[in-house]
Amino acid sequence: MKRKYLGLLIALGMILFAAVGCSNNDKESKDSNEATKSNKSYDDEMNIAVTAQPPTLDSVMTVSQVALDIAGNIYETLYTLNEKYEPTPMLAKSVDVSDDGKTYTFHLREGVKFHNGKEMASDDVVASMNRWLEKSSRAKSLLGGAKFETQDPYTTVLHLEKPSSDVLIAMASQSNFPAIMPKEIIESAPAEGVTEYIGTGPFKFKEWKQDQFIHLVKNDDYQAVGEKPSGFAGKKEALVNDVYYHFVTDHSTRIAGIQTGEYDIADNIPTESYEQLSTMDHVKVHTFEGGTLTMFFNVNEGPLADVKLRQAVNTALNMDEILLASFVNEDLYELNPSYMNPNQPQWASDAGKKVYNQGDLEKAKKLLKEAGYNGEEITLLTTQDYGEMYTATIVVQEQLRQLGMNVKVANYDFPTFLEKKNDRSSWDIFITSNGYQLIPPQLLALTPDWAGNDNPQIKALIAEIREAETPEAAKAKWDELQGFLYEYLSSTVIGQYKSILATTDKLEGFEVFEAPIIWNTKVVK
Amino acid sequence: MIGYILKRVLSLIPVLFVVSVAIFLIVHITPGEPAAVILGLEATEDQVQELREEMGLNLPIYEQYFNWVTDVIHGDLGNSYFMKEPVTEAIMKHLEPTLSLAILGEIVALILAIPVGIIAAYRRGSAIDQSLMVISLLGMAVPSFLLGLLLMLLVGVHLQWLPVAGYEPIQEGLWEHIKYLILPAISLGAIQAALVARMTRSSMLEVLNTNFIKTARSKGVKEYKVVIKHALRNAFLPILTVIGQSFGTLVTGAVVVETIFNLPGIGQLIINSIERRDFAVIQGVVLFVTLVYVLINLIVDLLYGVIDPRVRLERK
Repeated sequence: MKRKYLGLLIALGMILFAAVGCSNNDKESKDSNEATKSNKSYDDEMNIAVTAQPPTLDSVMTVSQVALDIAGNIYETLYTLNEKYEPTPMLAKSVDVSDDGKTYTFHLREGVKFHNGKEMASDDVVASMNRWLEKSSRAKSLLGGAKFETQDPYTTVLHLEKPSSDVLIAMASQSNFPAIMPKEIIESAPAEGVTEYIGTGPFKFKEWKQDQFIHLVKNDDYQAVGEKPSGFAGKKEALVNDVYYHFVTDHSTRIAGIQTGEYDIADNIPTESYEQLSTMDHVKVHTFEGGTLTMFFNVNEGPLADVKLRQAVNTALNMDEILLASFVNEDLYELNPSYMNPNQPQWASDAGKKVYNQGDLEKAKKLLKEAGYNGEEITLLTTQDYGEMYTATIVVQEQLRQLGMNVKVANYDFPTFLEKKNDRSSWDIFITSNGYQLIPPQLLALTPDWAGNDNPQIKALIAEIREAETPEAAKAKWDELQGFLYEYLSSTVIGQYKSILATTDKLEGFEVFEAPIIWNTKVVK
Repeated sequence: MIGYILKRVLSLIPVLFVVSVAIFLIVHITPGEPAAVILGLEATEDQVQELREEMGLNLPIYEQYFNWVTDVIHGDLGNSYFMKEPVTEAIMKHLEPTLSLAILGEIVALILAIPVGIIAAYRRGSAIDQSLMVISLLGMAVPSFLLGLLLMLLVGVHLQWLPVAGYEPIQEGLWEHIKYLILPAISLGAIQAALVARMTRSSMLEVLNTNFIKTARSKGVKEYKVVIKHALRNAFLPILTVIGQSFGTLVTGAVVVETIFNLPGIGQLIINSIERRDFAVIQGVVLFVTLVYVLINLIVDLLYGVIDPRVRLERK
């Protein structure tokens, strides 16, 4: 009997001990918070948890978002984007465009120093920009045949084969951005990319611990431009001495790290954790424009090579159901047929909205009959490595089954998914989440390599958009092209999604514009 | 003795050969293009082909195997495509966290398991024995990732006593080093403890019933001496085998626990390399892990002789 009570007492003691421990801890953290609010002091260090280790920080060689986010602190470009997505000078002072639109003369800022102490001159810019033209698939497709030359130490000239309305936008785009680095670094770089990361940005590269972190330090010699900060443009100031980008693959660890303050910023929060984090004390959740969830059809092989059948599928789809299942909360998605960012006035378009999100099974069944569908197997290719892509695929499978189609899901890990995607005989439909592009020609939905969509009419319309003389004329052509995409159905937009990141409430001046912006940001102790 | 060790080391060669062929084939037959993974989602087919060529992936598979094995024999495990460093270097860098975690995990396991096993055997059939065995059964049934997440939530997030994730090398100070390892070590150690405790109990039970224990007791030897000196030492051989195996498991990478607690160890290295299709690293780590596992077993075999002189005599 005595033993029984002893056990009970020990258990109660332990619970009490734990509870006292917690309450003390809470009290202490509240106390320290109040103290810092009244008498602020700032931390010298910022810790950011990102999802994976990037393959390189050479922005020209990669489209990895993590790589570009980190590299954006080390490197700068001639032109960058302000918060309205307009090309804005950064390392250039200004540009003169010739009357025929084939020559761009960039006047460079003087006295800008690289992290190795050397002053930036036109030779460095020419070497960097020509390397970008040669290595970046984006640059090659948009500015094929172009060449940069030095006119004098502070003037660089770009010669184009034919004029185009999107030159500066292409140069300011984040994907594969043309980082300006010293000429010597480029000349000594191996084929797979530079290994010495020297730029002009507000932070310098210090150390890369494989599978642990990348460490950046403040660039004391940084020379900021005078303009107000806006997007990636304007005045930048490093307000912490050390920045650590930790590679934390497990999302529950990233979330736990934000709760304990081990990380100041946690990138890529899964949508299912959005509500949980929104209600937590000391945690701020930031949502920002992510991109489009897009479905691609195999227009070359298999049953869906028949446009009628693609129309039947599209008519049956209920996009709201797919988006809700994939992104969990209505705050995190938007029903909108636009392939381009709906908040970017130049390109947002609702062309094709009549056939978007119909969810009309009866009409779809009729179309299915007209197409002569006879139970042929439809393969949906997907990967569970990206939760939203997989969930959307499962909902689409169910919707198509209700339509009476014979649908199978082929689920692989991401590398295998990429390989299978290139084998056109192994899939009929796949869904991917694609980040926003700045100009229509950059869209994956228009890139023949992506899903085998090599339509001459699309090519002709892309050329017309690029050659258009005014922005309005270009927009009209894009409306026409988006309308055509909804008729031809090589792909269809399912909807727009938002990305999520979380920070502690100790950050001051922090903003998100396409990526977390860590310059001009302080960390309260 | 030296002859025995030599024989065991030589017997490693066919094991490593079979493992090398198997892993090479598995890695190269698995779909997934390393060049495409490195270049990212939006790379063009031309770029992928160019990188394949540079990486030597366009050579026939037997030629790739031959090149790799020749290098391995010369002590070169190749270079990581992704990390752009020699595989040997990558393994060495990732070994420290894993080794520290394994040692700490094993300490946790032994501190829990040996006393529990002894007490349970000594009090055989009692309520204490039964409850300890139920707890150890639970310990075996709870997966390490679940225990890890629960500990992380309770001790890391709620009580904030220990960091939830990360790693500091031992050069930064012993406490700095250990504080990141305590929670993962408990998550791993608890499961190993359950295994070792059950083995300790059954082995002790067997020995406690033998005549020499009865003799010792009748001679008036103190009870704790009977249990620790006479019974435990004689019961230790099978326990040592389990400890050896559990240490082997811990050293060769606690994949899930390392991922949850973000420890840059061998387990994380292999998982990341599979995702990156970093062939050279996958092959190198598997070979290394095989070698470590076999060597640990060899050391355990040699320790038998240290603990039980009869084993030495039999060999002679």
